[in-house]
Amino acid sequence: MFTRFEEYAATKMLGQPDSPPRSEGKLFFSEEWQRTVFGMALALSKEGHFEWEDFRKKLVASIAAWEKDACAGDIKWDYYERYTLALIEVLEQCGVLEPGELERQITPDEPSK
Amino acid sequence: MSSLFDYDKNREAASAAKVRALEALLIKKGVLGSDSVDAVLSHFETVAGPFNGARIVARAWLDPEYKRRLLEDTPKAIAELQFPGMTGAEGEHMKAVANSETVHNLIICTLCSCYPWPVLGLPPYWYKDPVFRSRGVREPRAVLREFGVPISVDKEVKVWDSSAQIRWFVIPERPANSQHLNEEQLAALVTPEAMMGVALVAPPKAT
Repeated sequence: MFTRFEEYAATKMLGQPDSPPRSEGKLFFSEEWQRTVFGMALALSKEGHFEWEDFRKKLVASIAAWEKDACAGDIKWDYYERYTLALIEVLEQCGVLEPGELERQITPDEPSK
Repeated sequence: MSSLFDYDKNREAASAAKVRALEALLIKKGVLGSDSVDAVLSHFETVAGPFNGARIVARAWLDPEYKRRLLEDTPKAIAELQFPGMTGAEGEHMKAVANSETVHNLIICTLCSCYPWPVLGLPPYWYKDPVFRSRGVREPRAVLREFGVPISVDKEVKVWDSSAQIRWFVIPERPANSQHLNEEQLAALVTPEAMMGVALVAPPKAT
C-alpha cells in the first residue's frame, strides 16, 4: 500500500502506544535532538539495519517500563528519551553497536548538564 | 498540576548529548550517511503533509473552475499543482467533497486507518480510535458537536468512509472576511481537521 518507507513507518505507530507527538498534522519536536533521533531510527531501518517492527517492540517496551515506574518515582515523561533508549537497544541487538560502545563515546568530561 | 511533564534542563541536555554522540558514532562507523536524517525528515516536512491539502483548498476557493475539476477528477486536479510527492499510489485514490451551505462532510475510516497522507499529513491520535469511528457513523452530529462544530438541522451531514480504494478529504467552506487574501494566505488558514470535517476554517485575524 505504501510506496514510501517513511509513510509506512509513521503509520504503523499512529494510534498505538508508541505514537509520536504531533501537532496540526505534522510531527512535533520541541528540541533539535528529538528530530535527529526520530530521523536516525527511520533512516537506519530504511537502509535495512533492523526491522522497523523490532524497533517498535523495543519502543513500546521502553514506554511500558516508564509507565510502570512513573507512579513510584518522579521520572518525567519524555517520548524521545524513550525513543533514544529503544534505538540504542535495537542497534545493540542487531550488532551495529557493541554493548557499552556508545557510553564509551560519551567521555567523562562531556558536560552532562 | 503538570509537574510530571515539567521541562528538566539537565535531562534535556543529557538526552541531546547522547543523541549527538550516537549520530557521530554511527556516521564514523559508516552506518549512517551525514545527510540521511535530513533526507528522511524532508519527506514529512516538505513532500507529504497538510500544506499540500491546504494549497489545494485555497486554489479551489479562488478558482471555481479548479474546484469543479477537483470534485470531478480529484487525482487529475491535484496533479495539476505538481506536488513533488504526489505521483505515487497514495495520491491516486483521493476524492474531494465540498462543504456548502446545505451539506457538511465528515471523513472517517471504519475498516483500517486509511488516511490521505500526502494531503492531510499525520492523522490525529483519535483517528484510529474505534469509538470515534463507530460513533462517526452512528451519530455524526453528536460527534461534530463535541468537536465544537454544531451543524444546524437543516444542513445535511454526509459521512465518508475512507478505505484502501478511496481516501476522502473535505474542501471546507471559505471563511468570512477572507476576500482580500491571496492563495498563500488562504492556505495558511486551512487545518488538517478542517479537511477532515471536524473543524471549520476560522476567519483571518483582524489586522
